Amino acid sequence: MEQEKTSATTAEITAKGRTTGAVRCMNCMERIRPPLGAKTFKCPHCSFEWRISWPLPKFPRIRGPVWDVNRRLTEEAMSKKGKGKK
Amino acid sequence: MALDRKIAYINLTTGEIETKPIPISIRKKFLGGRGLDMYLMYNHIKPGIDPLGPDNVAFVSAGVLVGTLASATARTHIAGKSPLTGFVGSANMGGFFAPEMRWAGFDHLVIKGKAEKPVYLWIRNGEIEIRDAENIWGKTVTETQEIIREELDDRDIKILTIGPAGEKLVRFANVMTEIKNAGGRSGMGALLGSKNLKAIAVRGTMDLKIERPAEALEYNKRVITQVISAKVSQTQGRLGTPFIWGATNSWGGIRTRNFQANQFEYCDDIEPESIDEHAIGMAGCFGCQVHCRAKYIIPDGPYKGVYDEGPEYTAQGALTAEPGCKNLVNLLVGNHLLNMYGLDILETGSLIAWAMELYEKGILSDKDTDGLELRFGNDEALIEMIHRIARREGLGDILAEGGLRAAEKIGKGSIKYLIHVKGMSNLHSDERPTPALALGIATGSRGSDHLRSRPAIDLYGLPEPVLRRIYSQPVAYDGPISSHWRDYEGKPWEVRWQELCYEAVDCLGICKYHTIFLGPNFPNFEEWSRLLYYNTGLEMSPLDIWNVADRAYTMERLFNIREGLTRKDDWLVDRYFDEPTTRGVPAACGVTIDREKFAKMIDEYYEHHGWDENGVPHPETLKKLDIDKEPSHML
Amino acid sequence: MAKVLMIDYEKCTGCRLCELVCSVKHEGVSNPARSRIKIVKWEMEGRYVPMSCQQCESAPCMAVCPVKAISRDEEMGRVDIDYDVCIGCRMCVAICPFGAMSFDTLAQKVIKCDFCDGDPLCVKFCEVGAIQYVDASMVSTVKQVAAAEKFTSIMQKVAAAISTV
Ligand code: SF4
Ligand code: SF4
Ligand code: SF4
Ligand SMILES: [Zn+2]
Repeated sequence: MEQEKTSATTAEITAKGRTTGAVRCMNCMERIRPPLGAKTFKCPHCSFEWRISWPLPKFPRIRGPVWDVNRRLTEEAMSKKGKGKK
Repeated sequence: MALDRKIAYINLTTGEIETKPIPISIRKKFLGGRGLDMYLMYNHIKPGIDPLGPDNVAFVSAGVLVGTLASATARTHIAGKSPLTGFVGSANMGGFFAPEMRWAGFDHLVIKGKAEKPVYLWIRNGEIEIRDAENIWGKTVTETQEIIREELDDRDIKILTIGPAGEKLVRFANVMTEIKNAGGRSGMGALLGSKNLKAIAVRGTMDLKIERPAEALEYNKRVITQVISAKVSQTQGRLGTPFIWGATNSWGGIRTRNFQANQFEYCDDIEPESIDEHAIGMAGCFGCQVHCRAKYIIPDGPYKGVYDEGPEYTAQGALTAEPGCKNLVNLLVGNHLLNMYGLDILETGSLIAWAMELYEKGILSDKDTDGLELRFGNDEALIEMIHRIARREGLGDILAEGGLRAAEKIGKGSIKYLIHVKGMSNLHSDERPTPALALGIATGSRGSDHLRSRPAIDLYGLPEPVLRRIYSQPVAYDGPISSHWRDYEGKPWEVRWQELCYEAVDCLGICKYHTIFLGPNFPNFEEWSRLLYYNTGLEMSPLDIWNVADRAYTMERLFNIREGLTRKDDWLVDRYFDEPTTRGVPAACGVTIDREKFAKMIDEYYEHHGWDENGVPHPETLKKLDIDKEPSHML
Repeated sequence: MAKVLMIDYEKCTGCRLCELVCSVKHEGVSNPARSRIKIVKWEMEGRYVPMSCQQCESAPCMAVCPVKAISRDEEMGRVDIDYDVCIGCRMCVAICPFGAMSFDTLAQKVIKCDFCDGDPLCVKFCEVGAIQYVDASMVSTVKQVAAAEKFTSIMQKVAAAISTV
């Protein structure tokens, strides 16, 4: 029992894959790295634009979309889907 | 040892009190907390009783690891037949009540009957007294606690209480402790109110023996590191639970203006970063190093200067996106009022948003609202409706009965706009883009709920091997698994796994933010097996714990079936299938849930459980789980 | 150089993990009543203040002890109880202005913080750093006058709160 109780658990092993300083793009799910302190950032993979906040130093997070860009992209996607259906 | 805590049976009609030890055989089958409560509930509540009548039974419990070294062992569980849904009523809260109850000698309270006049329970080091509560009846959540502490002359007393809403039998009233720790969902506050039980005060100085102190200390430290090294924990420790908003509103998963959009646009003022500007620090529940509870002071308006805590992610959505309000002060004030009244924030905000849509559609008129202009985005109307629901005035009195009863009363097709499952409102999340999350709310044993089985990490697009590693222990799983949140394949297993994961933490008394909920690398079955061993001496493998959870969840199913639940209750309202989303990232817009595929998901989910196509457990399943002879009346 | 426990109550989240680990370490049980540190709370204002022995330079508990069971270990910067000498009269409990000396009714002895013999467990578990184990000389440099004043008034409130228990 002792051996089994000291070895690394599955969750401890999966934790090894963690990254810092990056976030996942909410659209394409790729890891993106906004420059330190950036307030907005355009995803180089899918060109969605995000507002970034820094809850802790060196710790970016997506606060939300840049609303005007978001609205344009959303409406484009909607009209494309509308066409696809008809 | 930590397993010597007792169960007390309290009859409020007769005043009789009886205490018993909890046999180890029952412990091994149900551990404690929610699991053992479900056993007790199935055994003590007669089928078909009125949930607000004296025959309903209230259960209050601590998880089996509460008060021990297991990273955040604070949770209290409250159960009974739900006055809102008529099915399983089950609520869970943090704070400091459960550990204090254990130091006072008890793990489980079974409260029967109805007191003639308002009373509260006073529990101290093994003794239980029923005391007069006439002077606190009508008081708010915080007032009640202060008066009791003064009356009993001990500032360290911990108190579980109902607010005025519970007294008024609002069917979604909470049980509360401290300022904002809430045993919400399913109306457990109304249940206590119906028994004339205002509060339970506990204070204890009895040893809770830790079986292997040195190892428990060392291993607990390791688990804490595992928890707080996660990015989500650190973000949550800074911004509180509203931090989740950043992701969900970005891709389009926020239920807006009841159900008219899936993104709350241009809402910078109520984003967590904005709320944070008014936070004065963070607080934690017992033993927790994540400290996700924000402390704030209302900056403006008639409540300027008032101290409160939160608002949680739930409050944030229920008081902004759903009613379409963008006023931060309003959010803080609404949160404060709901805490004082002891109301389920989620249910209240949801029902008000529903009423707003009815008003917009002309189903509710100015006459119905007594002249209140109940349109989306009307901040004052939102606050006014909170008061009216809590006090049961006018339209508030109708909504206080819960969505289904209200829809029946209002008529005129109002039911079509209600967003619920089993009569319980949904969180401000929009599951149309995410079949996995949709399945979770449709099948939850207490109704539409995100804390029953939500596979939140499904949204992270984690690589398949990582998902497989997580979801194929402690039982093997080699079925389909998929990384994308738009997929239907493999998701029923995720839901099933998370369901048992959450059931297990609720049996242990650990917070859900300390397991696989918001992040993939958190402690789960393996870690719990070790924590149980070091703290209590119980030798249970990860699989044993999984089986406890499975057993407990199946008891919930049995209870619901006995109360008349059928497959059609595990279903979503039509809007999920018929109205496509309009906002969010391209993958999330213009989508609905597919009826056929969803029905297949339900089939698969039942199969994973060993239930038939109607959702009834096969006899072999019950036998395997050793609950084929329930009710067995062992306790 | 002697070290002390430096408390920064503004960082405290009120989680009481320190109470838990202290009682487990010293008594093998979870029981805050037997912890050497105590979180005094103003729950309705969200204020939490960790209280433990200040290891006073001229300790009132030491002065009042009729059998001289209490002494100061200058090297450790710690006030010690010699349990072989202690008669359990609880004079020290009564006189300690911080309520830091308490009487353990289960073990029938007075208890107070012993710095865990140089490896304070509460410090190790308090991730927010509300309790730190630092060189005595650090404390004065770290704490600005204003902060100290604020702390004093808090401490008086705490002392008042404890004496009413
Ligand atoms: S462990 Fe730290 S944060 Fe928690 S109560 Fe103790 S001093 Fe406060
Ligand atoms: S027990 Fe009290 S009086 Fe004695 S050294 Fe500690 S703080 Fe000072
Ligand atoms: S230093 Fe050790 S004895 Fe002193 S309060 Fe902290 S844990 Fe307890
Ligand atoms: Zn992208």
